[in-house]
Amino acid sequence: MARVRMTRNPLMAAAVVLAVAAAGAGAWGGVSWYDASHDDSAAYAQARDEALAAGEQAVQNMNTLDHRKLEKGLDSWEDSTTGDLHQQLVDGRTAFIKQIQEAKTVSTAQILSGAVTELDDRAGKAGVMVALRVTVTAPKGKPAVKESRMLGKLTRTSEGWKLSALGQAPVGNTAG
Amino acid sequence: MKERGGTAVVTTDTDPDTRDAEEAEEVEEVGAAADEGSTQTPEPARRWPRVVAAVLVVALLATGGALFAEGRALRDTPATSNRALTDSEATTRVAGDVSNALGKVFSYSPQATGVTKESAKQLLAGKALQQYAALFGQVEKQAADQKLTLTTHVVRAGVTRLTDDSAHLLVFLDQVYERQGKPATTAAAQLSVTAQLRDGHWTVVGITAR
Repeated sequence: MARVRMTRNPLMAAAVVLAVAAAGAGAWGGVSWYDASHDDSAAYAQARDEALAAGEQAVQNMNTLDHRKLEKGLDSWEDSTTGDLHQQLVDGRTAFIKQIQEAKTVSTAQILSGAVTELDDRAGKAGVMVALRVTVTAPKGKPAVKESRMLGKLTRTSEGWKLSALGQAPVGNTAG
Repeated sequence: MKERGGTAVVTTDTDPDTRDAEEAEEVEEVGAAADEGSTQTPEPARRWPRVVAAVLVVALLATGGALFAEGRALRDTPATSNRALTDSEATTRVAGDVSNALGKVFSYSPQATGVTKESAKQLLAGKALQQYAALFGQVEKQAADQKLTLTTHVVRAGVTRLTDDSAHLLVFLDQVYERQGKPATTAAAQLSVTAQLRDGHWTVVGITAR
């Protein structure tokens, strides 16, 4: 009887096969989409790239200051930072303005390369290392160009990644 | 028996057995339809499920395809193709291999010039060999003349980009220069390094001073 049915209606058989295939395709697409949208490593990779971009930009901001546009420059410093570092900048602002107004310097920075060295996506903490070239121009004399290397700690805030610590990578205390 | 024409076209009416069975089936189906009281218009009643099934099949295929494509788009971004940090084992390994290589090729003592040369041959390849010669040649010359010992430590190495067999790194180094009878001096150096995985080991193929 089964054989007879098959010969009787190949269209129906094809339709059933097609329906099963379609159901399979639907399910497979759904599973693959679900996997991808719940893939931690994709989110982690995204966070890494965001942290690096934000870190490089923040380091550049922190090494850029024009005595003629002090308020704007220091606002950008404060916007790039969070936590203790941010507080230090806010507390030291008045004194710093005085200092730069006397020195009349213009600092610009160029990021040469950067890398994320550590990333805790859940805690919202990251570490970056950045190589940069800083040019400081004083009213007298030639601009001083200095290669610099910095280590920064980033913390994720509601406005994205911000620097919570920044310093020169130490030289000379790593022997041994 | 208008309905019959639709199915009969599909089968060839050469096999009498099939035909008989078919007719028996047909009768049965019509009888069943009659029970439901739809003898007047059997056609739409039997066509509807097919149309619905066809629409469902197309919808399922389309949904599956769309979801799959969207999943691919989510998974295969420029971010995910870079495995720096996401593959922590491979990241640690490439950073370790490259740090080790740089420490060896940029360290030099007048007593063991051969060791440095041999390391460079083993650990560097391609463009890195010329770049190394340009960076290190001068130091090497001075070292021989002034009995200079150079020791290079990697302070920190970060992987910027990592794939199956290639990597870009940023490396911070300390270079300690020691001359006989003089205090040691330390200089900072920053290098961008390109490495390739060759025979299970990361080989430095490009060095740029930063």
